[in-house]
Amino acid sequence: MSRRAFLKLSAAAAAGALPWRSVSATPDWHTYDVATKVTILKPQGASRAWIPLPLLDDTDWHRAIGNTWSGNAAKVQVHTDGKYGVSMLFAEWKEGEQAPVVEVTSRFMTRDRTVDFSRPNANVPRLSAADYAFYTSATELIPTDGIVRETARDIVKGQRTDVDKARAIYEWIVENTFRDPKTRGCGWGDIKTMLETKNFGGKCGDLNAMFVGLSRASGIPARDVYGLRVAPSIHGYRSLGVGAPVITKAQHCRAEFYAQGFGWVPVDPADVRKVVLEEPPGNLPVEDAKVEAARKRLFGGWEMNWLAYNMAHDVVLPGAGVKAPKLPYLMYINGETGGQRLDQLEPDAFRYEIRTSGVKA
Amino acid sequence: MRGFLLALAAAWACAAGAQELKPWTGGATPALVLQDLEGRSHSLESYRGKVVLINFWATWCEPCREEMPSIDRLRKSLDGRPFVVLAVNLAEPPSRIRGYLQKVPLGFSVLLDRDTAVAKAFKARILPATFIVGPDGKIRYSYVGELDWSQEKVHRTIAALLPP
Repeated sequence: MSRRAFLKLSAAAAAGALPWRSVSATPDWHTYDVATKVTILKPQGASRAWIPLPLLDDTDWHRAIGNTWSGNAAKVQVHTDGKYGVSMLFAEWKEGEQAPVVEVTSRFMTRDRTVDFSRPNANVPRLSAADYAFYTSATELIPTDGIVRETARDIVKGQRTDVDKARAIYEWIVENTFRDPKTRGCGWGDIKTMLETKNFGGKCGDLNAMFVGLSRASGIPARDVYGLRVAPSIHGYRSLGVGAPVITKAQHCRAEFYAQGFGWVPVDPADVRKVVLEEPPGNLPVEDAKVEAARKRLFGGWEMNWLAYNMAHDVVLPGAGVKAPKLPYLMYINGETGGQRLDQLEPDAFRYEIRTSGVKA
Repeated sequence: MRGFLLALAAAWACAAGAQELKPWTGGATPALVLQDLEGRSHSLESYRGKVVLINFWATWCEPCREEMPSIDRLRKSLDGRPFVVLAVNLAEPPSRIRGYLQKVPLGFSVLLDRDTAVAKAFKARILPATFIVGPDGKIRYSYVGELDWSQEKVHRTIAALLPP
């Protein structure tokens, strides 16, 4: 890839047309391009970057089309890594590269999800025993024993079906937690500490991890899905979409649980609390009609103005030159230079930018 | 799904500026049966006895567009030899592809991978991704990223695969 081509690609990405939510490839599928440009400032020695790529698996709500890259990296690899299969692009620059830069453009399609709980489908595939065990197991920050299990037991007491139990957990989170705007990034999901301290403030990485942990502790398969908002909400929620093509800080994670007859069910209690805090004029009461509508919609539905990256916990970055703890999840761009890991939550210091654009049919 | 999740797979690696085809070590050649823009069916199997260059591309992929003319120059340089180019487009409407071809006429078939199933079978996750299939139907080389396909070294490597 020549620098000329790289610059042309950057210019094309910057010229992404608006409004981008009004276009579609098929009647209900929408196609988006997301361009992620990473620059390593003040490089020292070898530099590296890890960029999450769209979810590899095609589903009835997400299709990965392809990715392309440009820049001056000496080495670029796609890794499909670890037990969760997180897909990422790894770029490496040799010592002496004065301005390490890489830009990745990903194209994908999405379609809104809604589960009709009145119509179970006996043909929905059952989870294998291995998958059941996998999606009810603990992660490093999401234990399923101790206070997590005790809390879950109290919440689901008297509930019979998995849907009923999951709904009870969802409602408990909406009632008891709150979105804390001071939380860095999306929060790291240390749910044991949240329960022990009874500090239930956080963001999606905390609140939806709470849903996953309490569900798993109740024997309900559940998982976080990490991603990025890419378009405005068509349901009138300013807080649940992006208002400009620069989406560098639009990371958002959601959650799913598995229920027999329905398969994987989308939920997002964290976004209910986001509506409470951020939907104008702000600090809405839970009884507000907008909150009630979101609360109803987000148990069993996702508006897919959002890109799913992966469902991974406890991520090890392949090719890293710096020894560092596992990442709770991979939703941000990571990098290292001069033998130090860069702060993934400080894109201005680290300098990465993500842009979105819709694709006309 | 879990079976695939358990593997650590570096799907490909490329060194910028290497400009060399990478000998294939990725296993069996996936099936390829797709229609072209005119609705004709193309099967990789039907090209047995020829060398086939399979290029996964899209019009939104700048490096793909950059390298396309060089693929056509390679094709012209091997005109009359048992060499075929199949340009597999990823999930774009035919109208958009035709618009591109009006600006950049190409002398080879453009196939439509509407659901990207073939690209996924080839693990073509980064575009452009190109595979060179020998006369025996097996992948011999691959290259991910933009390449000048008309350079002498690449021409020599591909010509060496051609049956006498």
